[in-house]
Amino acid sequence: MPFTTDPVIRPWDTHASDTQVAEPDVHETTETDLPWIVLVWNDPINLMSYVSFVFQKLFGYSKEKADLLMLDVHEKGRAVVSSGTREHAEIDVFRLHEHGLWATMQKDSQKDS
Amino acid sequence: MRKRKKTGPVEALGDGVFRINLTDSERETMLAFVDQLEEVLTAEHTDPRLRRLFPTAYHENPDLDAEYQGYMRDELSASRASSIATVREVLGTQEPISEAQLYAFMMVLNSLRLVLGTLLGVSEDEDTDDIEDDDPTFGQAQLYGYLGWLLEWTVDTLSNG
Repeated sequence: MPFTTDPVIRPWDTHASDTQVAEPDVHETTETDLPWIVLVWNDPINLMSYVSFVFQKLFGYSKEKADLLMLDVHEKGRAVVSSGTREHAEIDVFRLHEHGLWATMQKDSQKDS
Repeated sequence: MRKRKKTGPVEALGDGVFRINLTDSERETMLAFVDQLEEVLTAEHTDPRLRRLFPTAYHENPDLDAEYQGYMRDELSASRASSIATVREVLGTQEPISEAQLYAFMMVLNSLRLVLGTLLGVSEDEDTDDIEDDDPTFGQAQLYGYLGWLLEWTVDTLSNG
């Protein structure tokens, strides 16, 4: 399972599975090499325990890591929960939306991290 | 640490099997809310009640977001419809249910809370417990609290069961 020893996920972290993606999608030929990051934004409705549980289920994070990420979202207003190719980020955003989390994606940029 | 009661509204029976301990009238009430949720899901895309159920994906790029919504929105609706169908089965039986069924129940509970919380204008600084009983939204606030309690139990049971 990726990142289980790393307490904080950073924008330059990528999904383990992304290393197997050799050919860029045709839609991405105009994109730079910067990966996309998936952000989850703080919201007053979702329960903290629920958010942490969803992080564990969707990304395979340990409870400790998921709790830290959830607290990061809660205290800092948002947190990067995953990163990778645009296609991968879209899938993660979709799954987070499915679970009612407020997720968005953007091209990673150093100044934003 | 919360002291765990022996049986709550959601219970792990072991071997990946669970039971929802709700009375028939509670189940009927929940089913009525599920019907309402289904109705809300078919509302106009611009309906404010849907804001939290279909969020923006590309917050920095409206063009990419329009493209994304174009091919993902229907899929998201289909996923919600499928969870709702599962929850109708779950609420229609007193028999034990599977983990996947309980998971669908959790997702629908959360969707209901999102719609209700949006309607109530729940914010970070406002506690729905503080609403006076003569407030017109008192009933909704009570329900919001009930759904939160049920969701907490569901998450807890799925996490430990």
